[in-house]
Amino acid sequence: MRLRTLLVRQWRNRPGRAVAAAASVAVAVGAVVATWAAADASRAGYRRLTETIAGVPSIDITARDGGRFDATLVPRVVDLPGIRAAVPLFYRPTLLRVGESRLREVAVGVDAAALAAAGLLTLESGEPCREDDEVILDATLAKGLGVGVGDEVLFFARRRIARMRITGLATGDSLRWFAEGATVVVDIQALEAMSLSTAEVDRVRIALLADADRARVMAAVAERLPASLVADVPVGRASMADDVLHSANLGLDFVTALTLAMSWFIVGNAMLMNVAERRRGLSLVRLLGATGRQVRRFVVLEAAILGGVGSIVGAALGLAAAGPISAGISQALQTPPAGLAVEPWLVPFAIVMGVFLAVAAAWWPAREATSLDLLEGLAAAPTAAPPSASRNLLVAAAALTVVAAVSEALMYVGVWPPRASVVSGIALLLAFVSLTPFLLIPLVRLLGRLVPSRWQVEGRLAVDQIVRQPIRTALTAGVLVVAVSNGIGLGHAIRDSVEDVLAWYGKMLKADWVLTQAGALSVSREERGADSRRMERIVRELAGVADVEGIGVATGRVAGSVCVVIARDMPDDKPLPLEPVGATIDEVRQALARGEAVAGTVLAQRAGVKAGDEVVVEVSGRATPVKVAALVVDYTSGGASLQLRRDAARKIFGMEAADVLLVTAEPGRAAALREPLEAIAREHSMLLRSFGELRRYIDRIVTGVVGSLWSILGLGFVVGSLGVANTVTMNVLEKKRSLGLLRAVGMRRGQVVRMVVLESIMLGIAGGIIGLVAGLTTALFIQLASQPLLGHPLRFHVRPDIIAVNLLAAVVVTALAAWLPARRAVRLDLLESISAE
Amino acid sequence: MSILRTEALEKTFNTAGAEAAVTAVRDVNLTVDSGEFVAVIGASGSGKSTLLHLLGGITRPTSGRVLLEGVDLATLDDDALAAVRRRRIGFVFQRYNLLPELSLLENVALPLVLDGVGHVRADAAALEALEAVGMAGRAGHRPDELSGGEQQRGAIARALVTRPAIVLADEPTGALDTVNSARVVELLQRLVAERRQTVILITHDPAVAAAAARVVRMCDGRIESDSTSGAAPR
Repeated sequence: MRLRTLLVRQWRNRPGRAVAAAASVAVAVGAVVATWAAADASRAGYRRLTETIAGVPSIDITARDGGRFDATLVPRVVDLPGIRAAVPLFYRPTLLRVGESRLREVAVGVDAAALAAAGLLTLESGEPCREDDEVILDATLAKGLGVGVGDEVLFFARRRIARMRITGLATGDSLRWFAEGATVVVDIQALEAMSLSTAEVDRVRIALLADADRARVMAAVAERLPASLVADVPVGRASMADDVLHSANLGLDFVTALTLAMSWFIVGNAMLMNVAERRRGLSLVRLLGATGRQVRRFVVLEAAILGGVGSIVGAALGLAAAGPISAGISQALQTPPAGLAVEPWLVPFAIVMGVFLAVAAAWWPAREATSLDLLEGLAAAPTAAPPSASRNLLVAAAALTVVAAVSEALMYVGVWPPRASVVSGIALLLAFVSLTPFLLIPLVRLLGRLVPSRWQVEGRLAVDQIVRQPIRTALTAGVLVVAVSNGIGLGHAIRDSVEDVLAWYGKMLKADWVLTQAGALSVSREERGADSRRMERIVRELAGVADVEGIGVATGRVAGSVCVVIARDMPDDKPLPLEPVGATIDEVRQALARGEAVAGTVLAQRAGVKAGDEVVVEVSGRATPVKVAALVVDYTSGGASLQLRRDAARKIFGMEAADVLLVTAEPGRAAALREPLEAIAREHSMLLRSFGELRRYIDRIVTGVVGSLWSILGLGFVVGSLGVANTVTMNVLEKKRSLGLLRAVGMRRGQVVRMVVLESIMLGIAGGIIGLVAGLTTALFIQLASQPLLGHPLRFHVRPDIIAVNLLAAVVVTALAAWLPARRAVRLDLLESISAE
Repeated sequence: MSILRTEALEKTFNTAGAEAAVTAVRDVNLTVDSGEFVAVIGASGSGKSTLLHLLGGITRPTSGRVLLEGVDLATLDDDALAAVRRRRIGFVFQRYNLLPELSLLENVALPLVLDGVGHVRADAAALEALEAVGMAGRAGHRPDELSGGEQQRGAIARALVTRPAIVLADEPTGALDTVNSARVVELLQRLVAERRQTVILITHDPAVAAAAARVVRMCDGRIESDSTSGAAPR
């Protein structure tokens, strides 16, 4: 017989304990694998969503003074890190004739074959155009025209009318990356030749790799450019997607980190209980002559085996769960499922982590057990934690709070990146867990007084059980604190973020129809301005139009920071579509009327701009001083915007044209405007969307992202519930003997079960209350972390539904987890129960 | 020849601060010769169990010394003390303290296994010890399949398996009926007589104490009397 025989016999003797310990590891490792895979799936989904909506993330190289430029001026940049491809773009408005149909469309000149090969041009059918007389059409347009691959269209260019053969049909999503509303793709050299603009381009669009840091790449590109060229974020691209996704990625980091922390806690807790509950047995082995080292080796061997088995099972379960979760996330994001792609290191990492955690968590109580006085170790009665342990916990709680506060402060002032808030969140959570043993007993005593009088005996005994087993119950409550805090903290943060974004959009975009400039056409500023004014007048004169608001958009720079300059009509008789920070609406309105601007809070933070500052704003190579009257909450370009009235923008920057027209119909006339507005949109190369479509577009991003976050949070919830259930089950299993003794002295079976369930409910409520405080604090931390991202603090709302669901779940899970094993324990033969060690 | 000696042994427990300190053993000077059968008796709380724990190196004295075969136990580190407990001391408890997961044979072999003895040799020695206590026939049974008396005889076999210098028995008959008590006492007497095994036995039962050749009576942590059967107090 060797020590490992003793190990196997112990497992055989107490299979519940061994299975519960291994199950904890399985739950934790499964959670790691599933959460990580689901978070990866979400990130990949976000990328696909961004690419679908806003195209591949990109940077534009354009002429500093606008207009076309010689493509040979652009230096080689594809060798820079983070760059996927550099794509010269040449736009040309054109007329297509198919049969009797004549259409004004935007043609884009590109190297179609190279782009298709690089994955930047997606063809539904056919192949890229290569020859001068070949063309690719938008698949939807081709369908509407009733043409397909192999058919011919007449292409009216400046120099000639060409008969061109359709070689392929491209998806609208992939064409949108080249220009909003682009429907025709021609070989760039052929289009240039047809337009008498040899070797000239409108811009070079640089496609970035998914994980590239746009600001860093842009700075590197800008360094190589000659003075006549400038690198900027493409104007008018759906930067909102970026903005929402920044927050979502932070949310993902939080969900992942907290789920991981919870998993670690579940393993640690189970192993601590597994070893701590056998202190007497281990002391007995020591009494018979085992050295401390032998005992520790024995415990570590056990932890390694249970951890190994649990890890392998957990990894398999995690992989099995990750598939459906990832598919669900793709569904939520409405992106095509990309299949489960698990990083090759993930499973080995999770298994090693499971074993390591199990061993580390078992080592500590084993060391405690072997350094104890033998007499104390042999005592059957549980002992309170030594005063040094209480001191250590208080010191740990204080240290963790300091770490959380300092890292949050450093993140808040911009020294650390927003991701540092994840560290703060974890530190804060651990601080609360460290305080749990001190808060638990008074809370439980208080709850004991609320037990109905007919269950007074059971209630009193339940309180006694908790008070007399401080270590065991603190560990159980610790898991509850982590689980509840996770659910409440992240639930609040997700809901507050979403409502913030949606409220802003609700305020900003109030119209029935939205007309957007389809592409950045290289016509002169004057020409565009005149065209825009004409079009605005036509729209205003349409029967049924109540109001038209024009919005001009340009890329600018403030103190080296790229920003979007937004020029809006903002008439005095309409509510101001801005949310000032630290100023009243009237003050802002008056300042805007004086020609001053308001800065988005993110721009203000990045460029160090304060209300009242005069800043130099560079637009289209022209630098002009502008006074910033106030800061406003804004999600345009991730909050990096400078907004002013259109008349002021016209005067200061020469921004004549409206890139977006918000059209409000007279009551009941919205639907009737579709047809005339569509005609105007076609005539002026604009894209028409109804407000409903735009809202759906926004909702699609928000709902998808939120859905993915809820999925992972749901996974965390399941993991938390399993962890709590497992811990409570272990807790009850360990009390088999004392439950038997209570029956032996006259307690009825029902009373014993009631006592155990009451004990668990008290633990559930007490752990839930501590978790509630921890969760609300975590939510506050997450919202503070949003400040550097969004430039403004999110409004914090206490959400009774989220709190109720989490607390209820905590109580139900603990009660059920206690009821099942308690019922089994009281059905045991009395002698068997009493003799259980 | 003395096998065990204590000098001014004292043990104070400070469980709830210095004010509530309890001195369980005070100024105990005791010498036990090889092959002696000593019974320590006294009322509950007289300090007899604490004395046994001190003698067995289970707990360390507040002051004074315990010398086992000339070695001061206080000078040993934990590992060395564990080795002494494993090889030179056999323990018998009132509640037997057999590991429920192991068979009787495995329980008895455990101290040898912990000492690195191969399982064949350990099992052989364990079987021999079980034969000595008349329990060889129950070697394959688990503790919960044995009566209290059988479990205690198994525990005695475990105490003997390493051929220790001394067996320390703490109320070994406390949980047994009269018949089984008599059997255990008889067994201990036989071991002393046949093997010249030194035994120190704690009991509050005068009938059990009467089986010992020497009786040490404790009161309030001190040795009140120390007498050899039929002889004057030493």
